[in-house]
Amino acid sequence: MTNPAIVAQELTYSYGDLVAVDHISFEVEAGEILGLLGPNGAGKSTTVKMLSGQLKPKGGKATVLGVDIGRFPKKVQAQAGICFEITNLYEEMNALENLKLFARLFDVKNFNAEALLERVGLGGRGKDLVSTFSKGMKQRLMVARALINKPKILFLDEPTNGLDPVSAESIRNVILEERNRGATIFLTTHDMMEADKLSHRVAFINQGRIAALDTPYALKQEYGKRALVAQVVGKDGRLEEREIALDNSDTAGKVSDIFANEKVVTVHSEEATLEDIFIRITGRGLA
Amino acid sequence: MNIRMIFALVRKDISLYFKNKFFGLGTILALAAYLGIFFLMPKTVNEKISLGFYAPSFPDTVWDQYNSEEVTLLHYSSLEALKQAVTDDKASVGFVFPDDFLQKMYSGEQTNAQIYIKSDLPDEYRQAYTLVLEEITQQLAGHSLNITTNEVVIGTDMAGMQIPPRNRMLPNLAILILMVETMGLAALISSEVESGTLRALLVTRLRPAGLFISKGITGVVMAFTQVLLLLVITGGLQQKPGLIMTALLLGSILITGISFLVASLARDVMSVIAWGMIAMIVLAIPSFNVMLPGLTTDWIKIIPSYYLIDVLNKVFNYGMGWQTATTNLLVLLGLSILFFIGGMVAIRRKI
Repeated sequence: MTNPAIVAQELTYSYGDLVAVDHISFEVEAGEILGLLGPNGAGKSTTVKMLSGQLKPKGGKATVLGVDIGRFPKKVQAQAGICFEITNLYEEMNALENLKLFARLFDVKNFNAEALLERVGLGGRGKDLVSTFSKGMKQRLMVARALINKPKILFLDEPTNGLDPVSAESIRNVILEERNRGATIFLTTHDMMEADKLSHRVAFINQGRIAALDTPYALKQEYGKRALVAQVVGKDGRLEEREIALDNSDTAGKVSDIFANEKVVTVHSEEATLEDIFIRITGRGLA
Repeated sequence: MNIRMIFALVRKDISLYFKNKFFGLGTILALAAYLGIFFLMPKTVNEKISLGFYAPSFPDTVWDQYNSEEVTLLHYSSLEALKQAVTDDKASVGFVFPDDFLQKMYSGEQTNAQIYIKSDLPDEYRQAYTLVLEEITQQLAGHSLNITTNEVVIGTDMAGMQIPPRNRMLPNLAILILMVETMGLAALISSEVESGTLRALLVTRLRPAGLFISKGITGVVMAFTQVLLLLVITGGLQQKPGLIMTALLLGSILITGISFLVASLARDVMSVIAWGMIAMIVLAIPSFNVMLPGLTTDWIKIIPSYYLIDVLNKVFNYGMGWQTATTNLLVLLGLSILFFIGGMVAIRRKI
C-alpha cells in the first residue's frame, strides 16, 4: 500500500483469559472503506476500540494516520470520528445541544449544527429532546456526532444495526458521501449486504483472527461456484433447476442444449454471497 | 488544558443535574427545608433553673433569699400541684418538706425531705439536686459551710452566652448540604458511565484530566454555592467569612472526591443511593459531637469530615481564628487532595 491510514501489526487484546483479538495484521488505504465482518463476539468492537484509542493494545502495534495509537491516542482522536455500537447520547439534551457540546470538545470553530442535522435527515428536529427520538433517529444523530470534526478517519461500529430500512439507507448515503470526501472508513457490521455495497474490501474476523481479507468481488471469485443456474419447466409442469459449471469444456454445448430442448424461465449466474463465503471459511454463520 | 472545553462540560453537567427531577427539585427543597429547620429551632438558651417547693410550714419569706437571675424558686400550695409542675417541666425538680420539718430540724431530730424528679432525668442531675437540697437545709439550720468559692474560666467564658440550638445545628446543616451533594454528583457520574456518554467524551480532544477537573468544578460549584447560600441567609458568615469559606471550599473538594468514589462503586442510581447513604452516615458522625459534646472520643478523628465540622463549629460558636484552625485546615487540605485523586483513579478504571 502506498498511503495506509491504518496499519495494524499483530494487534492483540484479551479480557482476562479470554483472547478477544488474536494477533491480527492488516492495512487500510487512505480513502478506503474496509468492512470488518464477523459474528457477535468475534472481536470487531474490540478491534475498533483499539484502533480508536479507547483500549490500549495488549500486544502488537497499530498506527492510525501515521500515529502510534497506543502511545498518542489523542492525536488520532482529534482527527477521527467514532460512532459507537451502543447509543450514548445525552438523552435529556436536545440534538443541537448534543452536537454543540461535542463541537466544543473538538474545538471546532463556526460549527453549523443545523446543517449537519439536515445532512443526516434530522432537519427541524434540533430542538427536540433526544429521549423523544426513535432508534433510527438516535443512530443518525450518533453518525452526525461522528462527523462534527470533518474526520480524516471514521470508525463506525455497527452503524445500521437494528434500524428500519429508511434510517439504514440514510446512514449508508452519509457513509458514501464521506468516502467521496476522502475519509477513510473502518466499518464493522454483520450485515453482509451492507458490507458488500459499501466496502472496497472486507475482512472476515472470527474468534479474534482475520480469516480472509480482500475485495468482495475477489472473495466471490475465489470462493464462489462459477456456475449458471437455469430454471426450466419440467415434464410435469413444475419448475426445475439445471446447473451448468462455467469453466468446463462442454459448457457452451450444455447451454445450447437447454435452450434448444427445454422451456427456460430464468437464467442467472450463481454467485456466492459474503455470508456463504464466511460460512465456508470459518464453518460458522454471522448471526 | 482547554478552558472552553471545561466550561462547556461544567455548564452541561449543571444543566443535566437540574433536569434530573429527583436531584434538581430535591436540592431546592432540601435547601428550603434546612433553612426552615434553622429558623424554627430556638435562637436562645433557657439558662434558668426553676426549683419547685411544697413546704406548708415554711414562711414565704424563706424563699426570697434564694431567688436570683439564674435560680427561681416556685412555691406550690399542694403536693399534687408540685408533681404536676415537675411533670410539665415548669419546675426542674420538686422538693417536699413535711409539716414538722423545721421543728424537727431545729430540735436536732432526724427528719426527711423528698425530691420529685422526672423519670428521664440523668443521674448526675439527680445527685446535683440532692446536693442543692442539702445545701438549702444546711443554710436554713444555720450550718452554712465556712468557705468561699472562686470560678476560674478556662477559655472563652460562655456564661450568659450559651450556644443556642440553631447555632449548634448550623455547621451540621452545612455538612448535610455537602453530603447530599455527594449523592447528586455521584448519580450524575454514574449515569454517564452507565449510558456510555463518558466514553464518547473521551474520544474527543478532551483528556481524562480535563474531564475530571470539569466534574470536580461541577461538584465544588454545586456544593459550595448551596452551602454559601445557606450561610448568607442564616447569618453564618458574620464571623470570619474568609476562614469559613476556605474550610467549606476544602470540604467541597473532599466531598467531590468522595462522590467520585461512590460513583466508581455504584452500577446505577439505586446503588449510588445505597453507597451514598453509607457515606453520608459515616460522614455525619462528627456532627453528633457538635450537638452532644462529649458523646464521642478521639477515634472520631479518623473520619475525614471531622476536620471540616470541627472548624465550622469552633468558628461559628466559639470564635476560633485562623491560627487555631490551621492544623485542621491542613489536614482537611491533605484529605481533600487524597480523596479527589483517589476518586479520579477509581472512576478512570471504570470507564
